[in-house]
Amino acid sequence: MNSRATVGEMLRQHGVSRRGFVKFCTATVTAMALPPWLGAAMAEQLSKGPRPSVIYLSFQECTGCFESFMRSFSPTIEHLIFDVISLDYDDTLMAASGDASESAMATAMKDNFGNYILIVDGSIPTGASGACCTAGGRSAEATLREAAKGARVILAVGTCSAFGGIPFANPNPTHAWPVSGIVGDKPIVNVSGCPPIPEVITGTLLQFVTTGQIPDLDEYRRPKAFFGNSIHDRCYRRPFFDAGQFAKTFDDEGARNGWCLYELGCKGPTTYNACATLKWNGGTSFPIESGHGCLGCSEPNFWDKGSFYEAQSTAMWGREGESQRKPLAEFAGAAIAAGAVLGVASAGAGRLRQHEREKK
Amino acid sequence: MRLTDIAVRVEDGAPIAAAPERNGGLGGGVTAILAEIAAGLERLTIAGNTALIDLRSLPLSPDDREELRLALGHGEVTATLEAQGISTLRETAVAGVWWTEHRDQEGALTAELLDIALTPPILAAHPSDVVMAAAALRRRLGTTSPPGSPVKGAA
Repeated sequence: MNSRATVGEMLRQHGVSRRGFVKFCTATVTAMALPPWLGAAMAEQLSKGPRPSVIYLSFQECTGCFESFMRSFSPTIEHLIFDVISLDYDDTLMAASGDASESAMATAMKDNFGNYILIVDGSIPTGASGACCTAGGRSAEATLREAAKGARVILAVGTCSAFGGIPFANPNPTHAWPVSGIVGDKPIVNVSGCPPIPEVITGTLLQFVTTGQIPDLDEYRRPKAFFGNSIHDRCYRRPFFDAGQFAKTFDDEGARNGWCLYELGCKGPTTYNACATLKWNGGTSFPIESGHGCLGCSEPNFWDKGSFYEAQSTAMWGREGESQRKPLAEFAGAAIAAGAVLGVASAGAGRLRQHEREKK
Repeated sequence: MRLTDIAVRVEDGAPIAAAPERNGGLGGGVTAILAEIAAGLERLTIAGNTALIDLRSLPLSPDDREELRLALGHGEVTATLEAQGISTLRETAVAGVWWTEHRDQEGALTAELLDIALTPPILAAHPSDVVMAAAALRRRLGTTSPPGSPVKGAA
């Protein structure tokens, strides 16, 4: 692909009108929770500039994150690849294989050194001298270190890449690490989730392409535009939580009436993501709307926090030695009581965390 | 096969109940939006500033949305834009307020906005597109632009 052509030129080549592109940008900025009037400005800005080179690396992962990326409704992956970015390497999507594909990556890295966007999904295993994940005769760690050198920014897509995810969970047999555990000298933006919401992946990418700036991040390096609110705070079942109305089982009267799923293990109060607002499958619904509590998949170490079906209070304990969650433990103790008391304590924990975030 | 090819049925009876103990009359959210619209219309009148309100970013219940729709009513003009999917720009009964829905090529709603403007800006042709269109017509006619014209490369 010609990465030097401007976006405007690419649009004309593909028969996309200016209005169509303004519309695309408007949908994108609203998906990013940015002011909608930025859509026209974004279209104007993007049209003038060249398409940035993007290199997408997959390591120890299930390809769920890439599947999610492929399922973006707004913008669609086709829009992104053909109109906005130059996807120069992606071993899942590209037709080339073997030496041809490795050569494509080397060329993209050389031609765009210092300017390309590196997207990584999957954790990086360091055990067994990196033998747990290799491609082209190189370990994941070696590939990441080399690719990171010329990257302008690294997007760690998915909880495995951002926080280690399932491979990082106890007992971590492959000695897996998140990207931030390997690369320390480049800006990293974590787009967590198992998988992340497709529009959050594409939205974060577009926000960087449009502005050239790292978006505002939270303490886990996640874009605040998408991870600034808890699921609980934006949940349509919140009024039932506030009223102390909780489903006790998945098939009781409360569940049928759409009451709060807190007592069934919903981790919404301490999970920060955009599921309750952007939703999934083109805005169709999200897990809580389908009757299942939030698993907390966008938070660090969510696999090691106990049962998904126990109430929040019993699932807040982090991994041994981890300090960031300890303040929540006292809330867990209070919350173990029952019913609405549980809910109030959890809300307190969430608020405490929000307060801590704001202080920072 | 695309995701949209998979038949998905959204049940009407999904557990999206109204908030408990809802009071009658306009919801607080609808009143706040109407106040924002009023302020936007005043800015449009005084300074000519247009504004957009993103309806999908607001925590509106289905009841709130219907109340807002009824409060704004239907105006005289509906415009349809066919660009990367169908968009509908419908004037409301409140002059200067347009209810805009953008859909993608699969018909999925990608943005829903209240456009506060005399005419929604996206309907207007872009000046540089007009220049290119004039140049294309000149080429087709085999004529040149008059001196001083911004249209280049004709004939």
